[in-house]
Amino acid sequence: MKTFTKLTLATALSLGLGGAAMAEGIFAPNLTYRTGPFAATGIPLMNGQKDYMTMLNERDGGIGGVPINFEECETGYSTEKGVECYERTKANAVVTQPWSTGITLQVLPKTNTDMIPILAPGYGFSPMANGKVFQWAFNPPASYWDGASMIMQHIAGGDMSTLSGKKIALLHLDHPFGKEPIPVLEAMAAEYGFELVLVPVGLKEMQNQSAQWLTIRRERPDNVVMWGWGAMNASAIAEAVKTKYPMDQFYGVWWAGHDADLKQVGEAGTGYKSISWSMPQPDAPVMADIKQHVADTGMTEQEDPNSVFYQRGIVISMILAEGIAAAQAEFGTGEINAEQLRWGLENLDISEARLAELGMTGMVPPFSTSCSNHTGHSGAWMLEWDGEKFVQSGDLLQADRSFIEPLELAQSAEYADANAPWPINEDCE
Amino acid sequence: MLYRTAGQFKTSYRADQALFPIKQDAFLLGIVLLCAWVIFPLTASEFAFQTLLTPILIYALAALGLNILTGYAGQLSLGTGAFMGVGAYACYKMITLMPWMNPVVAILLSGLFSAGVGVMFGIPSLRIKGFYLAIATLAAQFFLVWLFEKWAWLYNYNASGAIQVPNLDIFGLYVAGPQASSITQYYLVLAIVCVLTYLAINLTRGNLGRTWKATRDMDIAAELIGINLMKSKLTAFAISSYIVGVAGALFVFMWRGAAEPNLFDIPLSFRVLFIAIIGGLGSILGNYLGAILIVGLPVVLNTVPSALGIHVESALLEHLNIMIVGSLIIFFLIIEPHGLNALWRLIREKLIIWPFPH
Repeated sequence: MKTFTKLTLATALSLGLGGAAMAEGIFAPNLTYRTGPFAATGIPLMNGQKDYMTMLNERDGGIGGVPINFEECETGYSTEKGVECYERTKANAVVTQPWSTGITLQVLPKTNTDMIPILAPGYGFSPMANGKVFQWAFNPPASYWDGASMIMQHIAGGDMSTLSGKKIALLHLDHPFGKEPIPVLEAMAAEYGFELVLVPVGLKEMQNQSAQWLTIRRERPDNVVMWGWGAMNASAIAEAVKTKYPMDQFYGVWWAGHDADLKQVGEAGTGYKSISWSMPQPDAPVMADIKQHVADTGMTEQEDPNSVFYQRGIVISMILAEGIAAAQAEFGTGEINAEQLRWGLENLDISEARLAELGMTGMVPPFSTSCSNHTGHSGAWMLEWDGEKFVQSGDLLQADRSFIEPLELAQSAEYADANAPWPINEDCE
Repeated sequence: MLYRTAGQFKTSYRADQALFPIKQDAFLLGIVLLCAWVIFPLTASEFAFQTLLTPILIYALAALGLNILTGYAGQLSLGTGAFMGVGAYACYKMITLMPWMNPVVAILLSGLFSAGVGVMFGIPSLRIKGFYLAIATLAAQFFLVWLFEKWAWLYNYNASGAIQVPNLDIFGLYVAGPQASSITQYYLVLAIVCVLTYLAINLTRGNLGRTWKATRDMDIAAELIGINLMKSKLTAFAISSYIVGVAGALFVFMWRGAAEPNLFDIPLSFRVLFIAIIGGLGSILGNYLGAILIVGLPVVLNTVPSALGIHVESALLEHLNIMIVGSLIIFFLIIEPHGLNALWRLIREKLIIWPFPH
């Protein structure tokens, strides 16, 4: 055992010499998954997040003059490791970025007592939008329910009554993440008179979906909506091509729009659509800054700076950075704490003008959060695969908030009830 | 010298049959209990409670349950994760259907459900043995996890399909849910684990334990000397599944706080099986040593570089960790194929006869 300890220490030491020393400043850890079954999709996202923060540290010396200590804690998408990381980092962290719906669910009830904001951009529990109930949780700029609503609007061509009599299949991961859109889609099916066929894909069947696609072939749905992640997307797209399902009737959530998944089918994937609240902009000034300060100095691991997921990672870090900046401005201090960051995330104002200032015009639709609105509901674009890359198809879509809001209120009230005593922020209207 | 047994005379049968006939053993146990009950809780941080103390105890309890079945009665099971799930879901249903119920009572009762399920899946063991039985318990594993996913009543029709532990209190003190403090949960887990371990030690030393061991060593011979194999095997399944079920309920209610069905999938079964095998099949102490190695060590290793003030990329650290723990497992199994418990027994024997080796 002694030899092994020595060996470990020696390895760690020799590796450590190359790395940077522990940075001081605002501690904003990220619970990454660069290992495990979802690593292929995780790595570009994590690279984007890290590179944006590195760029801020290099170019501006951090945010408001305070460097950001953007440390990573590896979870491999395992809930158990995620909780370990959360416990390890929570003492000094101003934010927790759980990066999986499973870890979010686990950590969510603890945030009220631990007083650390959860930032889950574009994932997590959709009713988190209700800031009165989920005071410490944020999922800007759009929730899964927003996504489901926007996809259905695109299918309907803007007029929801045309959905009547249609058959829509939901190909989803049989996991909390994949089940997220079901309540809202079921409510829509009842309201607009379409038939919803649920096609679950078990975690073990992700790479072998022949049974699911047989069901789809038998049912002949007008559209397939996919709520998939990781290896599931690549297999689904390959199966769709194999079974000759018309690709222009195939829609995916924003996590199902990974460039590499589509590149493997190339031309055959033309017409596949994925809703997305981020859009790669190769010519954006921020990309030039990242190239100058991060890529050219050899501090990035990213190969393709124009992939959808890498640029989405940059947007995610921008949201956190803006929250930190807002908190610094409000409280007049550089080294903000978790409670102050909560205020900052609640008062995000990512306007068109602010995006232009940041050099990120067109990378994300403008949105703003408030005390009762923790999502911002930015709306999203429909991206379409043209055989080589994702291109924007049509204008910005907006979720039908009047339809979703009552559901959010009901579900968040249910959650608060089940977890009573659960503090509710009565101050915000 | 330290472990000299000379001079410790037993003058009655009672003294000879004591749980710890050698003074030093009792003394060591006293130190361990003192650490567990007083010193750790006073010194541990929130991080240590959540990632080391509580999980090690819970995993050790699950391994203890499995060890009764596999180590003592010789029936190989690959369904431990699913039986833990039965305990967890049973506890969840009881708590949500009867909110007035005392959480500790609910946790102890939930073991009965998994005992029932365990006996049901244990019936094939009367006809099939060894690897074939392992396949039958594997069927239980797949079937039960499938059931947790598909039977929406089990998770109260929650949209995400996960179960979430509500805030539960005993006389105003929160013991489960987000409001509960780690130290309360730790003490509760520790108390249940201590009681069940004490019962398990005595069970395995008693009449039932001896029938199990006879069944394990050669079931035909056991039958010939008048042991009822059906009773022996099914009691092993029942008691083992009871302990595993309680461990499952503790796992979700006292530690995780939320669970989705695939948490109880086969990786969990394997993890518990590895703890039991590396700790030593047919031992009680081994489960704890195994849990420390498999559950505790990776967490400690992860903190080494930052404690030394050196920066290692998190993903790299994770890879290093997997390699180190993997090689340690191989290393320990090479120096002592019968597990850590046998290693400790060897050390103890050497200490007793020291300084005069044979």
